[in-house]
Amino acid sequence: MTKLSRRQALSATVAFGGVSMAGGLLGSPRPAAASTEITAVEWGGDVVDAMKQIEAKQNQVKVNWVLHQGGSGAILPKIKASWPHPEYDYVSGWEGSFNGMVKEDWLVPVTTQTVPNLADIPQKIIVKNGKGEWAAVPRAIGGIYCAYRKDTSPIEIKSIDDLFDSRLKGKICWPGPTQAMMLPLVALALHGGGNENNMEPGWALMKKLAQSGNIGRVGVTDTDFSTSLTSGETSVGYYSEPQLTAVAKSFPVVRLTKQEGVPTFLYQSGFAILKNRPNLEATLAFVNFCISPEMSSLYAEVAGEAPLNVKAKSPDALKHLAFTPQEFDKYVYVPDFNVVLSQQDAWSKRWESEIAPLL
Amino acid sequence: MKRAPSIFFYLPAGVVFSVFFWLPLGGLLLESFRPFTPGRIGAVSDAPLTLANYEELLTPSFLEFFVQTLRISLFASLVGLVFSFTLAYWITRRMSPRGRAIAIGFFVSLMFLSVLVRTYALELTFGAAGPFRAILLSFGVYPNSRGYIEVLVAAGLLHYIVPLATLTLLTTIQNVDPRLFDAAQTLGAPGWRAHLSVTLPLCRDGLLAAFLFSFAFSISAFVIPMILGKGRVLFVSNLIYNRFSEIADFPSGAAISAVLFAVSITIVYLTTRYVNRREAG
Repeated sequence: MTKLSRRQALSATVAFGGVSMAGGLLGSPRPAAASTEITAVEWGGDVVDAMKQIEAKQNQVKVNWVLHQGGSGAILPKIKASWPHPEYDYVSGWEGSFNGMVKEDWLVPVTTQTVPNLADIPQKIIVKNGKGEWAAVPRAIGGIYCAYRKDTSPIEIKSIDDLFDSRLKGKICWPGPTQAMMLPLVALALHGGGNENNMEPGWALMKKLAQSGNIGRVGVTDTDFSTSLTSGETSVGYYSEPQLTAVAKSFPVVRLTKQEGVPTFLYQSGFAILKNRPNLEATLAFVNFCISPEMSSLYAEVAGEAPLNVKAKSPDALKHLAFTPQEFDKYVYVPDFNVVLSQQDAWSKRWESEIAPLL
Repeated sequence: MKRAPSIFFYLPAGVVFSVFFWLPLGGLLLESFRPFTPGRIGAVSDAPLTLANYEELLTPSFLEFFVQTLRISLFASLVGLVFSFTLAYWITRRMSPRGRAIAIGFFVSLMFLSVLVRTYALELTFGAAGPFRAILLSFGVYPNSRGYIEVLVAAGLLHYIVPLATLTLLTTIQNVDPRLFDAAQTLGAPGWRAHLSVTLPLCRDGLLAAFLFSFAFSISAFVIPMILGKGRVLFVSNLIYNRFSEIADFPSGAAISAVLFAVSITIVYLTTRYVNRREAG
């Protein structure tokens, strides 16, 4: 048996320790010591890709990315469970989740002092809390609208009535009761002469659509929708922008954002900055950087949501979301989001009892 | 020297079990009696308890969800049991020792394969856009029809049930003396009769265990109906997920969970009692 002398053991320890230290220094992925680490909840796919590219263009903040799992509301129970010590510095979301967080008083109010680039965002769109303070930082605008794959859809769709065409049997991917704030159901209500305050025409049409056999899949996650359309399982959908953009990258998609009688809904996506976190200044600085004109343009190119910063450049691929005031009045419907959000529970349960059995 | 009472040996496990099992269940049950305000997250704190969350469930449509879950789970469990028993019998009685070791190793390695991977494999192969679409259509089977989706969900459950139940039944069949089967045949019973009157009764406890494992898995399945069900065939677990994660209606989710727990426990009790009575009788 080979014996190890004390001199040999000491030499080996020094050598091993030196190698470990060198490896740690050389292999360290961390940026310069000045960067602060924050934890952010983002959407997956192209959205988080865009945000990572934005992160790479600065060195003040290093972001620990956590992805949304399911709808925007899925993260809220996790925050509630850990409140008043949330684990996240900001949560990306939209009107739906922002209003929920505002009601729970979780959000840091923002101003042009703390987020200077807010001065270049249309103020009308900024979500406010009960005191009238700005409660979230919008970064981009997306659409929820009807679209179809031109190469696989058996018919051209020009109105809501076309969704009931028997040639579309099994070809529609319709959002489930927890997706897209059930705004496609509001679209049916509008078509039937109602609105978000009078949804009976919408429910009647939804039952008719469910019974028609045209709904091939009910999307319960964003991935369901994009996978269903890209695989060719379905050809038509009424869904939101990033998923439709993902499909449009590989297939010809007809987007009915400017089709009379087929309502388009616009939503803002943005940042909700949580209270009681240690790196508030760094978070606000990062968010401000994200909504700068250059980063807004980058986000629009990669994630497929039109920039809200008026100085940012909107890519040609998002022309379908650029509206003149006349087009906005004609094609875009702005619901009362307070009504929509407060009805999500009731609508979801009504879906389970009246629509799900028909599918 | 006086020996310590044996309870001290069970106390640590009992405490851990109570803390991590009974306490959360108790919390869930309490949550089910709390009111919920739409638009808020979770239950309203400091509000009086209510039965409203349970009253909401007293609808034919909610019953339909339960019936659908139980129907598909029962179907998958029973079919799985038939397949598994046949496989376990073949492995135990017909295979060489080397073949037996390979077969057992195969089923064990299947258990290590993620449910998600297997479910997506089924979706890609037998889904509406899969390579079998043309074959299905040629047989008049429409892959977007509800009946087909239910069969696909059941197939997804079987993918997990068959290895689990087969491994459970291996030792059961091994413990049955094969000479008893031979004796039955010697006395003139055909093979199928000998199995029905000798093998199956002696395997009753193992069959019950395999069925209960399979049924427990099926009734609580979440990923399989979520992916293969296409949002059209939903299990009760999917409703619970929607309540907790999407709408933040914790009280309603807790009420559905409590009902599912009570139904499951009742089924296990009734099944076990029925089998034990048959055995005693």
